[in-house]
Amino acid sequence: MGARGRRGIGQRPDQERGAPLSQKQDARRADALRGLAVLDTPAEQAFDDIVFIASHTCDAPIALISLLDEGRQWFKARVGLDVDQTAIAQSVCAIDVDRGDLLMIPDLTRDPRTRDNPLVTGPRGFRFYAGAPLVLRSGVVVGRLCVIDTVARPRGLSSEQAILLEALARQVADQLELRRAAQVSARLLELQSALIEIAEGIRASDEIVGMTAAAAAVVGRVLQVERASFGVVDPDIEVVDVEADWTAPGVRSIAGRHRFEDYGALRGDLAAGEPLVIEDVATDHRTADDPVAMYALGIRALVNMPVREHGRTVAIFIVNAAAARVWTPDELLFLRSVADRLEAGVARARAEQHQGILNGEISHRLKNMLSMVQAIASQTLRAVPEREPVENFERRLIALSAAHDVLLQKSWRDADLRTVAAAVVETVGFGERITLEGPAVPLGARAALSFSLVVHELMTNACKYGSLCSDGGQVALTWSVVDDGSAASLLVRWRERGGPPVVAPTRKGFGSKLIRLGLVGTGGTELRYEPGGFEADLRASIDHLSQA
Amino acid sequence: MRSLPPIRVPVVLVVEDEPLLRLFATQVVEDAGYEPLEAANAAEAITLLESRDDIRIVFTDIDMPGGLDGIALAACIRDRWPPISIIMTSGKPWPPRVAIPADTVFFSKPYRQDRVIASLQRMAA
Repeated sequence: MGARGRRGIGQRPDQERGAPLSQKQDARRADALRGLAVLDTPAEQAFDDIVFIASHTCDAPIALISLLDEGRQWFKARVGLDVDQTAIAQSVCAIDVDRGDLLMIPDLTRDPRTRDNPLVTGPRGFRFYAGAPLVLRSGVVVGRLCVIDTVARPRGLSSEQAILLEALARQVADQLELRRAAQVSARLLELQSALIEIAEGIRASDEIVGMTAAAAAVVGRVLQVERASFGVVDPDIEVVDVEADWTAPGVRSIAGRHRFEDYGALRGDLAAGEPLVIEDVATDHRTADDPVAMYALGIRALVNMPVREHGRTVAIFIVNAAAARVWTPDELLFLRSVADRLEAGVARARAEQHQGILNGEISHRLKNMLSMVQAIASQTLRAVPEREPVENFERRLIALSAAHDVLLQKSWRDADLRTVAAAVVETVGFGERITLEGPAVPLGARAALSFSLVVHELMTNACKYGSLCSDGGQVALTWSVVDDGSAASLLVRWRERGGPPVVAPTRKGFGSKLIRLGLVGTGGTELRYEPGGFEADLRASIDHLSQA
Repeated sequence: MRSLPPIRVPVVLVVEDEPLLRLFATQVVEDAGYEPLEAANAAEAITLLESRDDIRIVFTDIDMPGGLDGIALAACIRDRWPPISIIMTSGKPWPPRVAIPADTVFFSKPYRQDRVIASLQRMAA
């Protein structure tokens, strides 16, 4: 008979503020219960145990944890009662609940607040009631832990029982808050690890589409929404071009161009760089006038999180849900972080794309220049009767050009030793008779160029005098990293086998001088004209090799 | 005894916008023993192809300013003059995800003259 009781209070002249105050309290209570996310959840052992203990302690057949929702009371745990909620008007627990103290009514049939309550007058025949308030740390009372008997108890609870009932009620309130805190931190942890997963996806991808697709898939899964997409926005924030689009099974994609105006008054927030957050398109002031376009895409709730560049919204990260839903602050913060990471990733990818184009242009010009040098040399040296030096010149030029190709693919950063060697071998030929064997070793730009010239000269010599000038002759080009504790160094071994008898040259030409310059132009070269075949060992410190 | 028809030297059309490189390519073709024909861009090349029927090989740069580039020219030749062999060259790597047309070889610039000559000879044979 709570409602009757409250109406009575509201009518009393000395309690003029009673009704509005009570309404305000009811609203706070409803907010607190929503925050606890406990209403209509399944039974939990911790709460069942408490009502069991309360029932036994107070020797009462009925014990309930009653949570006072708007319009109803809902029982999180109960013994001795077969319904899980009643109308708020029938709630004895609601009587004077905001006083925050124990309510005891020895005979419900005699109390004016309860004597007409159907639970008292009806077949359930409630006679005795005692309920302790469930007070949250914020001071809000969300309900009561109560015991009920079907016989009146003129002496009520013993003082010991009353103390225990109040203690148990504090346990319930604590349990409600701890349970929620555990849920929230589990959720935070989940969002945090999703964010890490997204950051890794962005880092692993060089292309914007790859980054956004990876992020959309993780966001869609962790927020359990129907759709997560990334769209590029035009400078006037009139249209969005949705590129990467993740959808739950059976949900259709919204990839393509969309005009904001067609869906409501959405542009203002985005232009200001604020997220557009809509919990229900049917009631939100920006979309309620005509939510049909949203419905057509199966959208009931949404978030558009702006991705900014130089203070301007350039893209949005879109999340769509098919049912109305409250976006929690944690979820919005999570989406903000995803957008921030995409922002950084997209900026990096753009910079790399730009650098790549620039590198390509530089390399293109460089190679055209080398072609011009080749053309001029070829024309200038036409009259020279001895063709070998002319051909050597051209081949060295081409070996250098091949090393540039390898460096370009790596944006002029480290080129792999094997890739450089293979590129030079390709320009000379005989690839099937040369084996390359060794670990991955990064070469800086300078080392890559000088190493390519050295390999080229070794190959040229092998073709003219060494193992490659006879059928079946072989070359093994192997390398290893030697670490003597103080500094790591690279040892490259050139081994020729199956060639003609080895004769040490009498004259040192430019080619052999190039070889003696070694891997980084500072020597470290050892040449041996062994009977079995020519051998070269080239050494350089790893530090020198990786310098640009 | 019947007189033999005059020996016709295969004609190679060199397409290159950079005059110095065109000169060089023309020289390579001559050194290979063939008759070079020059065009400074794809449009000129197509005009020549339309006006003559003795061109056996087109040796073209890919990167040419304005109009068609070498790849488009090659596609056009494959379409309109299928028997003609094509040699393409560029200072850029071969574009990813673009298939090299049939009976076509690609050389990165600067190219080895002997390899280009070997390709010319194989195609003219």
